[in-house]
Amino acid sequence: MRRLHPRSAVRRVGRAVVQGAVFGFFVGTALAGTIGLPSWVGPALAPLGATVTGGFALVRYYRFRYAITGGTLAVESGVFARQSREIPLGRIQNVDLRQGVVNRLLGLTVVDFETAGGSTTEASLDAVAPEEADRLRRLVQRYGRDSDERDAATTETSTDEPAGSGPTEHDEVTDLFAFSWRDLLTYAVVSVRPAAPVLTLAGLPLGGDLVAAVVRFNLTLVGAEPALTPSVLDTFGPPRLVALALLTLVQFLLTALLVSVVLTVVEYYDFRLFREGDDLRYQRGLVRRYSGTIPLSKVQTVTVKENVLMRRFGLATLVVETAGYSGGNQQSAQGVAVPMAPREEVYELARDIEPFGTFEFERPPTRARRRYAFRFAFVATVLTGVGYAVDTFGLGTGFWWVLLGLFVLVPPAAHFRWRHRGFVLDDDVLATRSGFWSQTTRIVPYYRVQTVFVGRSPFQRRRDLATVTADTASTASIFGGSATVYDVDEATASDLRAELRRRLYTDLLARKRARLTASDNE
Amino acid sequence: MESLHPRVRLLWAGRTVVSASVLLGLVVLVDRLFFSLPLELAAVGWALLVVLGTVHAAFAHRIWRFGLQDDALFLVRGVLTRRDTSVPYVRVQHVDTTRGPIERTAGLASVVVYTAGSRGADITIPGLRPERATELRERLRDLASESEATDAV
Repeated sequence: MRRLHPRSAVRRVGRAVVQGAVFGFFVGTALAGTIGLPSWVGPALAPLGATVTGGFALVRYYRFRYAITGGTLAVESGVFARQSREIPLGRIQNVDLRQGVVNRLLGLTVVDFETAGGSTTEASLDAVAPEEADRLRRLVQRYGRDSDERDAATTETSTDEPAGSGPTEHDEVTDLFAFSWRDLLTYAVVSVRPAAPVLTLAGLPLGGDLVAAVVRFNLTLVGAEPALTPSVLDTFGPPRLVALALLTLVQFLLTALLVSVVLTVVEYYDFRLFREGDDLRYQRGLVRRYSGTIPLSKVQTVTVKENVLMRRFGLATLVVETAGYSGGNQQSAQGVAVPMAPREEVYELARDIEPFGTFEFERPPTRARRRYAFRFAFVATVLTGVGYAVDTFGLGTGFWWVLLGLFVLVPPAAHFRWRHRGFVLDDDVLATRSGFWSQTTRIVPYYRVQTVFVGRSPFQRRRDLATVTADTASTASIFGGSATVYDVDEATASDLRAELRRRLYTDLLARKRARLTASDNE
Repeated sequence: MESLHPRVRLLWAGRTVVSASVLLGLVVLVDRLFFSLPLELAAVGWALLVVLGTVHAAFAHRIWRFGLQDDALFLVRGVLTRRDTSVPYVRVQHVDTTRGPIERTAGLASVVVYTAGSRGADITIPGLRPERATELRERLRDLASESEATDAV
């Protein structure tokens, strides 16, 4: 069994000592204040707190051990409640390496192992030396490839073999994709996420003050008192009000663009994608470095995303989903194989991962478009109604009818929604497409389908329509991202369900046979 | 295709009665302790909920169907949005029978089928006679192992 790198112990103990000291000091001071102990109690409790938490961190470090033996990753941890965990290497979906700022300075790497079960990362080694991280990654990778000779391949000898265990074990590495500065900046601009980063910024401790300062500045620009009360608006005529709103809007958009671009650049700086045997390997990040492997044999769904801007320039994003990542992960970029590339390149790589032909999407019947029009018209009616009520009982401007203009948008909205929905039953995959602003194409191999749902809402039943969902074990579908065929004919839906169920079995059997003949030939 | 045991309607209707009564109890509590509420209206609301719940239960029972087809477990359900679900036997991870306290008093049991999928990871067939539930669980288990899951996820 091995321990984590000693420098990680130094880091953890160091942090624990500081936290313990601060805690001890405050508790001591508070006690001295409330129950009348002498005033030196505060400072005196600081070393005590530091010793307790520091000691605990040290014991925790010594209790944490891991090893890869006989095809399993074993991890032992815990001080009071002890835990030993064994993970069969064949069940590991992804191995991810990350380096925060402190770990980069210390020359350490955190290794996360993801399996399909469980709700969190199943094993996290925080932290080991980069060579050790690489060795672990290779062991898992090699296991997946040599699973036929699994007994021999991954037995970790007790003598410390060098990382990677010899040049013969290295796979041929091919560069698949790299970001140049120009591509990176294009991507950052094209994939701009408007509101979210700015709102986060405003939520920071100083962010609120910053926003207030900017609003005050805007008020002086339009010639009002720089006070943040609604009453200053009373003296305004409509022109100044509009000027203020426009000014603030422009500032908001500019900040959003800037913040979003900076965040994207930090996240995707030096993005590279390699192919290593049967695995994809990526690395990225400016401040924090991320790298990891995506085993192609474990890919559940391949997704191509194109937002309006990207479509305009013929660009696309490729996302490769496995069953590894669990809900609630904070890294938005997980599974991203290619952040942005020309559409043809993206599809070429996607075909490389999961072979399929050229797609001719079948659109929903035109009565689906009528359904969307009705739905959007309903939304417009509700909004106008709310606007009317607010205006009549509150504002009293008499301009509520401006909202009727929303109805002009209904036909194009319905049309675009209809136009961007569709599905293909390819030879080996089901592909579904949906979304106008951000178009998502999901490519699901038949042998990955889990459960097939067919749903018909009352409104769909009236128009003889149904929605078919092919569930997979991929994690992205937890966030409402399953491959879904929207609003097809009832009969088509039944055919689709039967076909998916049939192909699941035939393709599973074909794969099994292929595997058997492959092992016979060896 | 098989329907659920008719007594499941009683179970479902009973559930609505319980939750409606809890709601009514809360209204009465607020009325006594804080400010007066129109209790007559609340009583009417309670009756309405109970009637709706009973009607819903009747319809739900009439629509609910399940069957063991040759490659998959097939269920049809849903009063407003009608959904049918196909669970291929290869994808079944494990099968449970459960009997909650209320189900036990009604003399019923449920079977829960788990898959590795992310959306419909657990699929429940409620309102079965306990013997039927056990039988179904064993049948599903056999079908799942016969179909030989080559690839769990």
